[in-house]
Amino acid sequence: MTPRRKQRLTMVLIIGALLASAIGLMLYALNENIDLFYTPTEIHEGKSGQFPQVGQRLRIGGLVVEGSVVRNKETLSVAFDLMDTGPKVTVTYDGILPDLFREGQGIVATGVLQEGFVIVADEVLAKHDEEYMPPELAEQLKGIKHVKPSEAGY
Amino acid sequence: MSPLMSIFKRDWQLAMRNKSEFIQPLVFFVLVITLFPIGVGPGLATLQKIGPGVIWVAAILSALLGMEKLFRDDFNDGFLEQIQLSGVSLSLAMFIKVFCHWLLFILPLIVVSPMLALFLNLTPAMYWALLATLLLGTPILSFVGGIAVALTVGLQRGGVLLSLILIPVFIPLLIFATSVVDSAVFGLNYWPQLAIIAAMLCGAIAITPFAMSYAIRVSHH
Amino acid sequence: MFTWLHPYAKTERAYALCQSLFPYFLSAAVLGLVVGLVWGLVFAPPDYQQGDSFRIIYIHVPSAILAMGTYVAMATAGLVGLVWQWKTAYMSMIAIAPVGALMTFISLFTGAAWGKPMWGTWWIWDARLTSQLILLFLYFGVMALYAAFSDKQQAGKAAAIIALVGVINIPIIHYSVEWWNTLHQGSTITKIGRPSIAPEMKWPLLVSIAGFIGLIGTLVLLQLKNVILIREAHRPWVKKLLLTSSTKGER
Repeated sequence: MTPRRKQRLTMVLIIGALLASAIGLMLYALNENIDLFYTPTEIHEGKSGQFPQVGQRLRIGGLVVEGSVVRNKETLSVAFDLMDTGPKVTVTYDGILPDLFREGQGIVATGVLQEGFVIVADEVLAKHDEEYMPPELAEQLKGIKHVKPSEAGY
Repeated sequence: MSPLMSIFKRDWQLAMRNKSEFIQPLVFFVLVITLFPIGVGPGLATLQKIGPGVIWVAAILSALLGMEKLFRDDFNDGFLEQIQLSGVSLSLAMFIKVFCHWLLFILPLIVVSPMLALFLNLTPAMYWALLATLLLGTPILSFVGGIAVALTVGLQRGGVLLSLILIPVFIPLLIFATSVVDSAVFGLNYWPQLAIIAAMLCGAIAITPFAMSYAIRVSHH
Repeated sequence: MFTWLHPYAKTERAYALCQSLFPYFLSAAVLGLVVGLVWGLVFAPPDYQQGDSFRIIYIHVPSAILAMGTYVAMATAGLVGLVWQWKTAYMSMIAIAPVGALMTFISLFTGAAWGKPMWGTWWIWDARLTSQLILLFLYFGVMALYAAFSDKQQAGKAAAIIALVGVINIPIIHYSVEWWNTLHQGSTITKIGRPSIAPEMKWPLLVSIAGFIGLIGTLVLLQLKNVILIREAHRPWVKKLLLTSSTKGER
């Protein structure tokens, strides 16, 4: 082999190795969970073996449990329970809730985890699902009655 | 001595002769970071929260500042054209030049970063995570930035244009780097995000030298 | 395989192609937008959860989908230019850029307007919104770099390289929803199997997307015709064309 070809070959090998390790590292990263997003069940039971710690900042997403919303009469602060398929967690929040916030509605909150599965949220956002349908169809399919935000009463 | 080693040595000596040039980005880096406690107030908790992001943003800005002259002199005096004619691979030569630039201009920023971590009240755990992201991440700035520098080298007014092109490209890196430090705050596993940054670095080292040499050829026309 | 494309590397043929395609795109744009938007904004039923605010989907979704698609089209034009050294490829790349930036802006603007009633905030630094914003910056970068060169052939090459670097951003945009798992709902139409939008809402959306494609095509062709005429102003065929059109105008 001429020196020039030898140099070419080493370069090709090095580049191949670099690209292979890039792909390998990406695959490793994608197999791990890297977000701080938890569901109520994951807060109780851990998410792929990793438990959120008290004092940790996290995002939680779940459905507001029917009848769990407790409002303070004097301040804006509000407490409600969130659940998905398993156990519940309690979220407390001091501020104005978004229009779409209703019992039974999915929300995403960002806050700090406290003892006893309580989350002190500094942000509550309503998550709307990617399903769009007329109110009548929704009533039939999901048993959800459409209530206009202005008539919802909270 | 191999031609590539001599390019490295040449760049090193040239920079050593003109020390003020690589001290400037360093001072800029420290100054930008000093502005933040003054701007947002000296509250230690706030500083700790914004600290990693501030250090990264300052590193990106000073990297952009120091990068503008990366190939300019060699382009203007015909050195790069000579390399093309000499039969040495231009891509390899560009790789060496960028690596040398990183050692001279960016590594000092990382060296002074412990002091800045104290300014911004970072905990040791945060600092180690930050250091890892800086070591893996800043070479990406140099290599990807090198493409844009090579493209704009023929224009005599590159400065703001360079930032305009490069800052959006660097945003994903910034997201992953700060998320590493955020995870470190809570003692969580941050290897996945570091792995993503390392993957970006491997990809950048493998591909950007060719893009840079192509860009230089475009500029020569 | 691509030999049928080669004649269009000549600016004169490319201009003629623009001329002949223009009416089709224009009629698709007018028809699709009028039918899709009127149907969607007036006649489609309101959503069971969001009521009437969901109707902004008929502008937001087409522009958001096509903003990314347009970037890929621009980068592809740049790649074609770099590989085959076609002047017209660079010209189409730079004709596409402002149209794509406009689409990105529309999707960000309507997204913000939709976010206020639905999420409770105008802007959140959600992964998808952020990547759409980065996309807008990438368009600006390509246009700024192109404008900085006085030699437009070189400008085309430089902008093409930067456009290709930016393409790395597209998969990040696409997968960011899953990576960061944040507020933005998943994409509605591409979900395989069970469509998650009722048919009477989906059809106006598809018509409106077709209308937006027509609109993008129309704007790109207009731009491209201008770019070709300006760049080739010294060519005899351009002079002839302008002379005939101006005498027509005098009559």
